[in-house]
Amino acid sequence: MNLKLNSWRLLVALTALTVLAACGGTTTPSTSKGTLTVAGFNFPESSVLADIYGQALAHDGYTINYKLLLGTRPIVVTAIKAGQVDVYPGYAASELEYFNKGAGEATSDPAATTAKLNTYLQPVGLVALTPAAAVDANAFAVPQAIAAKYHLTKLSDITPAIAGQLTFGAGPECPTYKFCLPGLTSVYGLHFKAVKTLDTDGSLTRAAFKNGSIQIGLVFTTDADLKALGLVVLDDDKHMTAADNVLPIIRSAAASDEVKTVLNNIDAKLTTADLISMVDQVANQHMDASAVATAWLQKNNYSS
Amino acid sequence: MEFLGSIWRWFSDPTHWSGADGIPQRLVEHVQLSAESVAIGALIALPIGIALGHYGRFGDLAINISNVGRALPSFGILVIAFQVFGLGDFPIVLSLTALAIPPMLTNSYVALREVDPDVKDAARGMGYRELTQVLRVELPLAVPLLMAGVRTSAVQVVATATLAALISGGGFGRYIIDGLAQQDPIKGFAGALLVGLLAVATELSLARLERVLVPRGIRLLKAPAMQRTATFKTA
Amino acid sequence: MPTGLFLTSDPWINWGWLSSHVPLFEDALQQHLTLTAIAILGGLVLSLPLGVAAHRWGALRNPVLAVSEIFYTIPSIALFSLLIPYTGLTEVTAEIGLIGYTVLILVRNVMVGLEAVPPDVIDAANGMGYRPLARLMRIELPLALPAIIAGIRIATVTTIGLVTITALIGLGGLGQLILRGFIENFHTPLVVATVLSIALALVADLTLAGAQRLAVPWARNT
Repeated sequence: MNLKLNSWRLLVALTALTVLAACGGTTTPSTSKGTLTVAGFNFPESSVLADIYGQALAHDGYTINYKLLLGTRPIVVTAIKAGQVDVYPGYAASELEYFNKGAGEATSDPAATTAKLNTYLQPVGLVALTPAAAVDANAFAVPQAIAAKYHLTKLSDITPAIAGQLTFGAGPECPTYKFCLPGLTSVYGLHFKAVKTLDTDGSLTRAAFKNGSIQIGLVFTTDADLKALGLVVLDDDKHMTAADNVLPIIRSAAASDEVKTVLNNIDAKLTTADLISMVDQVANQHMDASAVATAWLQKNNYSS
Repeated sequence: MEFLGSIWRWFSDPTHWSGADGIPQRLVEHVQLSAESVAIGALIALPIGIALGHYGRFGDLAINISNVGRALPSFGILVIAFQVFGLGDFPIVLSLTALAIPPMLTNSYVALREVDPDVKDAARGMGYRELTQVLRVELPLAVPLLMAGVRTSAVQVVATATLAALISGGGFGRYIIDGLAQQDPIKGFAGALLVGLLAVATELSLARLERVLVPRGIRLLKAPAMQRTATFKTA
Repeated sequence: MPTGLFLTSDPWINWGWLSSHVPLFEDALQQHLTLTAIAILGGLVLSLPLGVAAHRWGALRNPVLAVSEIFYTIPSIALFSLLIPYTGLTEVTAEIGLIGYTVLILVRNVMVGLEAVPPDVIDAANGMGYRPLARLMRIELPLALPAIIAGIRIATVTTIGLVTITALIGLGGLGQLILRGFIENFHTPLVVATVLSIALALVADLTLAGAQRLAVPWARNT
């Protein structure tokens, strides 16, 4: 028995087995109109929106790859600029203030904001399509007890003295977003006692509210669980945030008329109430984002 | 070499050396998390490994525990710890301690097993009782390999502690995770560099500790590479 | 009305949810295995020549070991993040990191394995007329196989754990489900994916240990 030969045979066999086990990829059906990669941000609402866009495009004959929970806006934009992603569901005003480096050009008019956004997108090979009526903006919440203690109903109620006693919590991208810390400083003059880096309106933020390590934090206007958590959103009375209507950001190269039609049709029907109920289903009831998306598409006449 | 220039600028920026997100504060946090985890891990792993090695029991378990340790996905462990225990240092230290234990347990077991049986016989013959024999004869001989396990563990804890930032932990991982989230490669590189330097410093200081602990006249033993846990990466 | 389980409580493992979501885990496992396999195979392809070279030219030995020690301490998430501007949020970025770490483990083991070949055997082989390359392929590497397979075991288990971290750059295999469980505050995918990752690693280790025993019946069990 040639032991040496057996050892090599075995190594080759193992290698072959591993390769076989790992291989099993799908091939693009020959009737596909092409492959598109749809990405979503690292929070549930984005997964739902990405699924809605993706499933609608798939229904129209495209092969869709998903990159859900890909990350923060900087990460997703890096990916789409490099062509690894073709579409992502953005929010008009926030996209504008990201691409214009916080120049403060976003307004409460979604159409104007989108037009301005496209002037920044065009040079980098991207395009924003028609914004939906659905809006999800940044909001800032405090626990009931804090609101009562300092008599807070709106953000301008927070005096510098009060701010100096509050610890603020948000995600790691917050210090770079116009509609987060920089905006709170420039519009409301707020300097907090401390800033705790948590997540983008996720479980870390909620846990921090719960254990009292933050007294004010970033949430989203479509969150349905705030009241149950004893949190109260402070009114953005000086209008720091702007028209954060949902809209697809897509690579110009992938933005064929057909794709644009499919996506714009979705935006035509998407409402804020839809967002609130869908986010609730995924974030609080642990339903699959894809199932929730399918249900929305079926209800709004785009079966999937 | 624009990149290097940016790195230099990042490190020369005085705002990066003060405050809650400054290098000194992050260093303290990182060292604290790492040191606590390794210390607690050592308190658990070393006595068990030493005992098992001395009596020669459960050898397969002791040797394979490192494999189990390597199999633990640190990301998953940290998130589960957060979901069970909430925010703060406790879930982080708990997770890191769990990751720190395996290499130290395996190495201390092997270290005690490697002690020359003739030496143990001689000690017994000289009248040493069990505990004294372990402490005064076997342990000093086992120190090199044992400390190798502690070093391996400590260096990997320093590296894995970077993931603590994912559950709102501090330390240099903050620069890496925030750098990724903000797509600021300079900050991310600075964080990686700082972690690397801390890891090297950890390795060197533990090597010095080992030199102090190894009795004079005993040269550094070289254990069979296959049984010694020298490679352990959890992050 | 969407079908699905409306969960008001959140047990650590919701078996009903799990049984209706098996394909999710199958897909995740597949991606996980693919990423791991590429890393191990790529690592082998690179580390065999590197290890042989470091063994052949003694001067390379210490630098190779030193460099590998240093890179080993770089947290994988840091390495992935640094590669993103160059290779993007892709499998390539993940594999550069994963293959790199695999190479670091395997090079060391190839070197140690080759060093463990008794000089007498080398002498005998030379005496029999083996030229260096033939001697390497037919005598030295087979004898170094125990160490190499030991290295493959370590590398495989390590890589399976590191793959979960690639979820932070859009991949992840089972790590994707860990991420989902984290972001959606949902226990089941988090716990099950973590357990599966551990199980996968241990099964791989046991399989390779078996292969090791089969391939080198004369070597002591590690």
